Amino acid sequence: MASSANSNPVPKLYKSVIEDVINEVRELFLDEGVDEQVLLELKTLWENKLLQSKAVEGFHTEEQAALQAAQQQQQVQQQQQVQQQVQQVQQVQQVTQPAQAQQVILPPQQQQAPQQQVIVQDSKILQHMSATGMSAAATAATLALPTGVTPYQQLITSQGQILQVVRAPNGAQYIIQQPQQQILLQQQMQPGGVQAPVIQQVLAPLQGGLPQQTGVIIQPQQIVLASGNKVQGNTQVMQAAALTQQPGQAATAQVQQAQGAAATQGPPQAQQQAQMLQVDGAGDTSSEEDEDEEEEYDEDEEEEKDKDGGEDGQVEEEPLNSGDDVSDEEDQELFDTENVVVCQYDKIHRSKNKWKFHLKDGIMNLNGRDYVFSKAIGDAEW
Amino acid sequence: MAYQLYRNTTLGNSLQESLDELIQTQQITPQLALQVLLQFDKAINTALANRVRNRVNFRGSLNTYRFCDNVWTFVLNDVEFREVTDLVKVDKVKIVACDGKSESTQNKNDKWWVIK
Repeated sequence: MASSANSNPVPKLYKSVIEDVINEVRELFLDEGVDEQVLLELKTLWENKLLQSKAVEGFHTEEQAALQAAQQQQQVQQQQQVQQQVQQVQQVQQVTQPAQAQQVILPPQQQQAPQQQVIVQDSKILQHMSATGMSAAATAATLALPTGVTPYQQLITSQGQILQVVRAPNGAQYIIQQPQQQILLQQQMQPGGVQAPVIQQVLAPLQGGLPQQTGVIIQPQQIVLASGNKVQGNTQVMQAAALTQQPGQAATAQVQQAQGAAATQGPPQAQQQAQMLQVDGAGDTSSEEDEDEEEEYDEDEEEEKDKDGGEDGQVEEEPLNSGDDVSDEEDQELFDTENVVVCQYDKIHRSKNKWKFHLKDGIMNLNGRDYVFSKAIGDAEW
Repeated sequence: MAYQLYRNTTLGNSLQESLDELIQTQQITPQLALQVLLQFDKAINTALANRVRNRVNFRGSLNTYRFCDNVWTFVLNDVEFREVTDLVKVDKVKIVACDGKSESTQNKNDKWWVIK
């Protein structure tokens, strides 16, 4: 077994711990009358999370390795689709919209888009055109959705219609068109921290199968949707065109064209409706109460704007705590991976400012990876 | 009672998250989840004590130290962790260490006001 001296002990250790725990709690589960299936699900969830964390190398079992390979292939395919759509989008844009800013395509990692138009392409964000839900009222549409789906975003179309983006448990998003209501612009944060896109165009029901990936055109918060009348023609054209063409790619192309017209009309009306604008993602609870939240936020926003005339309402507070300890910096410095060592101490020794640490039985997470030790000896100067 | 110290590790957190998900879907009760965590504490303590046999050295500069409730918490900067096989450098590391001396000291502070 000399060859195993260099191998990483962590995956084996973790696996043995998982096995031990699962076996020990099997009895507990049975006592409570919980099905064995749930126990297996716990194990699966646990292992998957460990895999996802990438803190452990070489952790996966063979089955999971196969799953991973399949997932990776899917991702590669999706990325290829992204690139195709990117090219199409860019071509369309050059032809029809010289006045607009460039479009930025978000990679699957969900970065923030500083420019005006963005195509969100994310393997987690799936846009499904629900043909059945388009003509129904909001409540009926919501009822028609599969169980577990709750309305999670409400977005404005260029026609002033409210689209409801709902989020199914599996992460797919459905867009449901609702009858015209007051023109509201609402921005909400998506999970993962990206500012929510505002889907301005009506994403028409697309025939055919549900595409795996579709581009979503969004505009940032500054551009308010037009009252709808002026761009209605374009939107309808887009709708009609979208219906007849392939899902996904065509939709994005058409959407952009219509959006070009909308955008130019957007800014003048944006100023008029500035009071109702939600400037940034501060009101970022994904609540279903559209109107209530908007009223609350308007008041907050107006107060903030009155205070310091800026977007950030926290500007005033900074001078107050600027004299405080440096502890704030510590929070900001290493947010991603706080390198942590969790262990037990045998002896902690100090001489003047020289410290010696004798530690044991520790788990370390350094630079995102996990390590273990039975003994650790360290020196530090304070 | 084994230390609950190791719950805030990758292994422990992923277990807690999984249990939370099952609670959310009401497949298990919170009580059962707690029992699982207690079992996890025992298992990880045993595993670390018995199944791990490697040494690590480290050196750095001490930024802060704290000793409270028999728990040491250190923050070190510019640390190098050295094992026989490899070297890991980090800008900042937090070390949380519980008393590892003996089981008697582990129970020493548990409810000391209760006369047994």
